Amino acid sequence: MKYLSLLIRSVSAAFAAATLTFAAAPLASAHASLDVQSGTLYLKSSPDAEAVEALRVTTAMQAQVTGNVARVRVTQTFSNSGKDWVEGLYVFPLSADAAVDELVMTVGERTIRGEIQEKVQAQANYAQARSEGKRASIVDQERPNIFTTAVANIAPNSTVVVEIAYLETVPYRDSRYTLRLPLAITPRYTPGAALDPGASLAAANAALVNVANGTSATSERVTAPLQNVDITVELAAGFPVSSVVSLHHTVEVNDDALGKKIHLAGRGIPADRDFELVWTPAAGGEVAAAAFAERVGDDTFALLVLTPPNVADDTTQPREVTFIIDTSGSMQGPSIEQASAALQMGVDRLKPSDRFNIIRFASDYSSLFTVPQTVDASSRIRASQFIAALRADGGTEMRAPLEHAMSAPPSAGFLQQIVFMTDGSVGNEAELIALIHEKIARTRLFTVGIGAAPNAYFLEQAAAAGRGSYTFIADREQVRSRMQDLFRKLERPALVDLRLLWPGNLTPDLAASMPGDLYAGDPLVILARLPRAPTGDLTLSGRIRGEDWIHQVPITRVDEHSGLSKLWARERIADLSRQLQFGGDRAPLRASILDLALRHHLVSEFTSLIAIDDAVVRPPGSSGHVEQAPTSGPAGGYWAQTGFAKTATPADLLLLCGLLSITLGSFCYWVSFRRDLAP
Amino acid sequence: MYLSGFNLEDCGKAAAVAAIAAGIVCVGEAAWIHAKASLAQVLIGAAWRRELAGSSRTQPWPWADTRPLARLTVREGRRAEELIVLEGASGRNLAFGPAHDPASAMPGEPGNSVIEGHRDTHFAVLRGIKTGDTLRVETLTRRDVDFVVTDIRIVDSRRARIALDAEQPRLTLVTCYPFDAPVPGGPLRLVVTADAIHYVNAHQ
Repeated sequence: MKYLSLLIRSVSAAFAAATLTFAAAPLASAHASLDVQSGTLYLKSSPDAEAVEALRVTTAMQAQVTGNVARVRVTQTFSNSGKDWVEGLYVFPLSADAAVDELVMTVGERTIRGEIQEKVQAQANYAQARSEGKRASIVDQERPNIFTTAVANIAPNSTVVVEIAYLETVPYRDSRYTLRLPLAITPRYTPGAALDPGASLAAANAALVNVANGTSATSERVTAPLQNVDITVELAAGFPVSSVVSLHHTVEVNDDALGKKIHLAGRGIPADRDFELVWTPAAGGEVAAAAFAERVGDDTFALLVLTPPNVADDTTQPREVTFIIDTSGSMQGPSIEQASAALQMGVDRLKPSDRFNIIRFASDYSSLFTVPQTVDASSRIRASQFIAALRADGGTEMRAPLEHAMSAPPSAGFLQQIVFMTDGSVGNEAELIALIHEKIARTRLFTVGIGAAPNAYFLEQAAAAGRGSYTFIADREQVRSRMQDLFRKLERPALVDLRLLWPGNLTPDLAASMPGDLYAGDPLVILARLPRAPTGDLTLSGRIRGEDWIHQVPITRVDEHSGLSKLWARERIADLSRQLQFGGDRAPLRASILDLALRHHLVSEFTSLIAIDDAVVRPPGSSGHVEQAPTSGPAGGYWAQTGFAKTATPADLLLLCGLLSITLGSFCYWVSFRRDLAP
Repeated sequence: MYLSGFNLEDCGKAAAVAAIAAGIVCVGEAAWIHAKASLAQVLIGAAWRRELAGSSRTQPWPWADTRPLARLTVREGRRAEELIVLEGASGRNLAFGPAHDPASAMPGEPGNSVIEGHRDTHFAVLRGIKTGDTLRVETLTRRDVDFVVTDIRIVDSRRARIALDAEQPRLTLVTCYPFDAPVPGGPLRLVVTADAIHYVNAHQ
């Protein structure tokens, strides 16, 4: 008995000592609350601590290119590896002129085909299906080139496959055909975003709020590149192809019966840069112009693709060029290097008779000169110093520098041009495009898209509103060739006063208004609806270098599944959306967009694709939560990522082992001591 | 016959003594981890004040290979805990204080600043943190930037990565999770994201 009390005394003394030692440490509290078991953490539903991410989304893309049209299928696999029912959200980029017309949801053997509905209606139906425990998926357009897929009621340890399909035109531009598949999103900066605590919280929960009430846009949850992608392209160019090159990915190219088959080489390729496949016709196979017509019901839809002759220019008119360069935080890393190199090249190409200025902007803006200066040795040196000192940091406040550049007083005898270099990662695209449209006057705006995942929609639309053209630079090696493309365009328009004469005096209903001028290397893509099938050739006329130019194009009939009607409707919707942005009358424009989108089965800002499985799968009473899978950000220094240090000390483990070992040792000692004393 | 019995008895006793000794060493080791964490913060606090006063002697102790970078105040309900953040998130620095990942932005500057800390010493305070709680960062160049916790999530460190971009100052506090797992080195991390409130860019 004596020894027992001794043991108890010694153990309690050890505990007391331990407790005393840790008086300053928060250990006591840590051990007192063992109520949370590690296993239950996965199911934690408190709003403050989200569950461990169980949702993964993997993407595969399959593109079929037939002549000038691409049909792209995007397969998103939502896998829930958790123990909870999950509603999955995924925000992803698509080409800005994608006519998204198909949604197919597959769960095991079941396949449900999606239908187009007015967005508000679709979201209400989706919410209802979700609360009833049915599997449902919905595809919404958040921005012209950013879409969201939501999938309700993904069972624990199961997978739902969502397939989205779209059509787009593949024009011949700058002597090559380019199929661009956007894979990453450069996070958008929205100027003037409120920073009070309430607003920040709202932003953090925007995704959840969006699903709850179907109003505000889902904010992208962009992270360092984590998503993988698999890409296959079947290329039936319709002419002998001299080269097929993937600009940013390693691919395998094989010949097959219809043309070429291109595969992304390897597995698990990170979706950290846009995919660009470029092909060129074999010598002599260049198609200057082609026209196609498709009959759907009573209507005929026509597509005309024209590339103006690439003529050398001998213009002597001096130019006044204002370069605007984006030095915001999103340009950090390779982007700012590419932009600086492109800018330096732009300055080097100027002639002594030209004038120029450089404006840099981030949260604020500043310019090299107060007014444009003549190109000479001293201004060139100052420009080089200015460029060398550029650093990327801060916000993306584009409005002020653009306004400043466009408000330059007209200078007689000079072609006034703005060369705008940016990744376009802004949230207020509509406002900026409207500003350019309104203020551009006689100036011409050219955009240079920088980086691995630029906002192509903004860059193209800004150039269209600024009546100029655009080019993209994705890596250092492209700077020279792409800037040369741009300089050719900058010299002067290649084809002006363009007119179309349809056979049989047909009056076409053009999807968008005709551009007045075409720049060297830029294609003309016209989509028209005709009252009846055309018989005969289409006549094009215009002026090149002051001389009249006429061209006849035969119209090829294509079958009605080629999708020209959808492309026409998509282009018309884009044109109506532009009118909305420029302050058009909202109600009738909205009604027209809605009508077109419903009739042609297209996703738009007012319509969504929705698929609902009628079977109830989630048992009533079982809980679920929402998870948004991260969207990959672009590769590069800007997305430099950090891992995790080991942030647990072995203190608890040591203490536990120590006390256990002391207790055990004391007990053994006591037992052997007892035996010693035994007679 | 006599020999084996004697030996067994003795061995048992020796093992018992060894177990007790080992136990004491373990407990001592555990105590040392906590003592080091607390003591280091005191020394680092002194170095921080010297640094604020403009002294060039910024090492907390003569052989230290790190220096204090910022003072982080975690306000959780009524409690406020002050921690001095060290430069460089090495295992050694983490024993002394929460440490800043040098690849990330400086605390209080535009960009994401990643600070890691031990779950059972300095960052034990994160156990009860909620969205809406506030943090304050004081640095040598930029005093008192306030942050509000906007997101708390548990991630798998084998899969997740922290992006270092942010247009505005952002803090990301990382610690091991769960807080009570007895064996260290698990893959889960608690990631607390906080965004600056009323931040005014220096360019403006």
